[in-house]
Amino acid sequence: MATQAQAKEKPGKTHQLAGKLMQGADMILQVLADEGVDTIFGYSGGAILPTYDAIFKYNEARPKEEQIQLVVPANEQGAGFMAAGYSRASGKVGVCIVTSGPGATNSVTPVRDSMADSVPMVVITGQVARAAIGTDAFQEAPIFNIMSACAKHVFLVKDEDELEATIRSAFDIARSGRPGPVVIDIPKDVQQHVGTFKGEGLLEFRGFDQRKIARETRKLSKKNVKDFFRILGGSSRPLIYAGGGIINSNASEALREFSNTFGIPAVTTLMGIGSIDTTSRLSMHMLGMHGTAYANYAVEDCDFLIAIGSRFDDRVAGNVAEFAPNTKNIAHIDIDAAEINKVVGVTWSHNADAGRTLRELLEAGADFKKDFTHWVDHLQELKKRHCLNFNRESDLIQPQEVLEELNKITKGDAIISTGVGQHQMWAAQYIDFHRPRSFLTSGSMGTMGFGLPAAIGAQFAYPDKLVIDVDGDGSIRMNIGEMETVTTYGLPVKILLLNNLGDGMVRQWQTLMFDERYSGTDKSLHKKNFVKAAKADGYEFARRVTDRKDLKETLVEFTAFDGPAFLEVMVDPYALVMPMVGPGKGYKDMVVGDYMTHRGTPSTEPSGVQDPSAF
Amino acid sequence: MIHTISVLVDNHFGVLARISGLFSARGYNIESLCVGVTEDPSISRMTVLVQGDDNVLQQIVNQLNKMVEVIQVLDLTQESFVERELVLIRADADAKRRTELLEIANIFRAKVIDMSMDSVIVEVTGSEDKIEAFIDMIRPFGIRELARSGRLAMARSKNGTEAGTGGRDAQ
Repeated sequence: MATQAQAKEKPGKTHQLAGKLMQGADMILQVLADEGVDTIFGYSGGAILPTYDAIFKYNEARPKEEQIQLVVPANEQGAGFMAAGYSRASGKVGVCIVTSGPGATNSVTPVRDSMADSVPMVVITGQVARAAIGTDAFQEAPIFNIMSACAKHVFLVKDEDELEATIRSAFDIARSGRPGPVVIDIPKDVQQHVGTFKGEGLLEFRGFDQRKIARETRKLSKKNVKDFFRILGGSSRPLIYAGGGIINSNASEALREFSNTFGIPAVTTLMGIGSIDTTSRLSMHMLGMHGTAYANYAVEDCDFLIAIGSRFDDRVAGNVAEFAPNTKNIAHIDIDAAEINKVVGVTWSHNADAGRTLRELLEAGADFKKDFTHWVDHLQELKKRHCLNFNRESDLIQPQEVLEELNKITKGDAIISTGVGQHQMWAAQYIDFHRPRSFLTSGSMGTMGFGLPAAIGAQFAYPDKLVIDVDGDGSIRMNIGEMETVTTYGLPVKILLLNNLGDGMVRQWQTLMFDERYSGTDKSLHKKNFVKAAKADGYEFARRVTDRKDLKETLVEFTAFDGPAFLEVMVDPYALVMPMVGPGKGYKDMVVGDYMTHRGTPSTEPSGVQDPSAF
Repeated sequence: MIHTISVLVDNHFGVLARISGLFSARGYNIESLCVGVTEDPSISRMTVLVQGDDNVLQQIVNQLNKMVEVIQVLDLTQESFVERELVLIRADADAKRRTELLEIANIFRAKVIDMSMDSVIVEVTGSEDKIEAFIDMIRPFGIRELARSGRLAMARSKNGTEAGTGGRDAQ
């Protein structure tokens, strides 16, 4: 698979089709091809017909390996999440093409989801012909207005001469800086207009272009470097707090080198999982509301927090005043200037690409030496003492044990997508990830129904990798139509459904905060037979596990199955995701449930971890 | 505190919708918003008055700076600047009270731009204080209609030799 960067036209070289007369729709396809797009996710319809026709013609004229694959979902939301899953797994810009009106409005959720998680996408929506805009025409919706509030940028192509440059600019904007989704609304008559293809050129945006150059060339000042190492040198308990920005900027290697070179342990956010190998000694795993107890203790104990590509969101710093109470300094590296000092005031910051900044620090700190062994040993002790655990005595299958067993098979190498809720948190907690871009989850928006289409998109990006959608019975229903998409395309996607007969996470909050009034979250009387549904959709492997003795063996067969596979495991409906830092609470109020140990008061703690100043 | 922000933007379709959308999406209240082209017709200037502390302002500036079409954002409140608003008022003024009203208008350097048997339309330009004072003076006559342009602002020249500096807000 050619990378998009490689496929991009070399500057100065005239496009071989330059000067050729073409329909707008053919120009769209040509620019997509020039941008290295190999897969389009989308659903046809009236206002986008010319572009779908252009896809057909483009592929008809080419051998299989040069064609652009078109993947049709059950619903446009599915297409959007497939494009997002493709993008999250591969790092390339995901492309989604849908029709006007309902096609476009169905894509709003994945666009907003991708904006919130900084996922680069280009979404092309058909629009009614220019003369019909604003007349309440059939399948007309004000997509510019709707998407303006959700996307990184929106174009409505009113001038046919700008079509080509607009498509190219959309890719540029989607990729640059903090990535995000760009929507291009293209009236049908613009798609049909015949004009001269130029083969080059971007739209001009003075401020955007200037800021882009500034961001890409900005280096750490001597003073900034000096200050950083002065703070690090004065610290005895430094901690990296790595977020999704590391993954977006492909900075995982730089982060690992940085962490290893200076001996600084790291916690990651949900979005940052995989940025550092979760099985490595310096990984303290996920922090926050459902982070590991030891990760949260590490945050409580550290005296220097180094935030990289992370943004102190409310699932991490629910109580800002109590967040990281023993830090004397917080450093923040982020590509988005608006994130620096937004939530937490920092003492050191640099607004630039994470990977580049880490490399600069590594180079500048080549002679820096400080021994943090004592601190790392302390964290290893916390890791051991306060490891994740769950009810191992129950007769009911515990959701955590399913994932623990799955992890023994996948061993950190699978691509895992999830829906949203308890199963998502358990997947984050119990599954190991050696590499970035292997845990695909809707972090910020928390969109139920994300997992299945995201897994499909990821499988298209990596046809030979093991891709597993860990889903819940609530989440999978949201985009259950995409079950059929898996078999239609013969994808070897594995769907592991943890069925707890309801919306577990909401139920957990109802258990803990609403006196067990399970309003709207109980699905125990629902009639759906998921296994039969899977069989009806053509899954040759469609099984249900209700008995613990069948679990291990079935999981092995499930993951080894050559083709689409569906496995439902009936799990304890009342299992709770622990640890938990309640909404708006500080880490000191973290509860760990009945199966893990809280570090409690200093007197009961032989290692004296309650007093971080002991280091 | 009220901040006056001057935003230069690429004069593209929908840019006003996107910028005002950013304010509403993030819960910032716009007190006043003026848009018009600059000396370069491909660039528009938006003058936005928003309420907020320094942190809110920094966020607004940072968020605006992320928008593709934004060229430059200036918080004019941080520096010396001039601010003007234009107001049109249709006031009751029959033959008996007309002279009195015209006298007031004259003092405020307001212009009468339309007159009928029982009313006048006056136009006044100036800083917020002056405008408010003028409206207060006209109110007893009876204000039938009032239209305000919203405030326009521009930073003063750094060397302080800008024309009209001496007559700051006094007119």
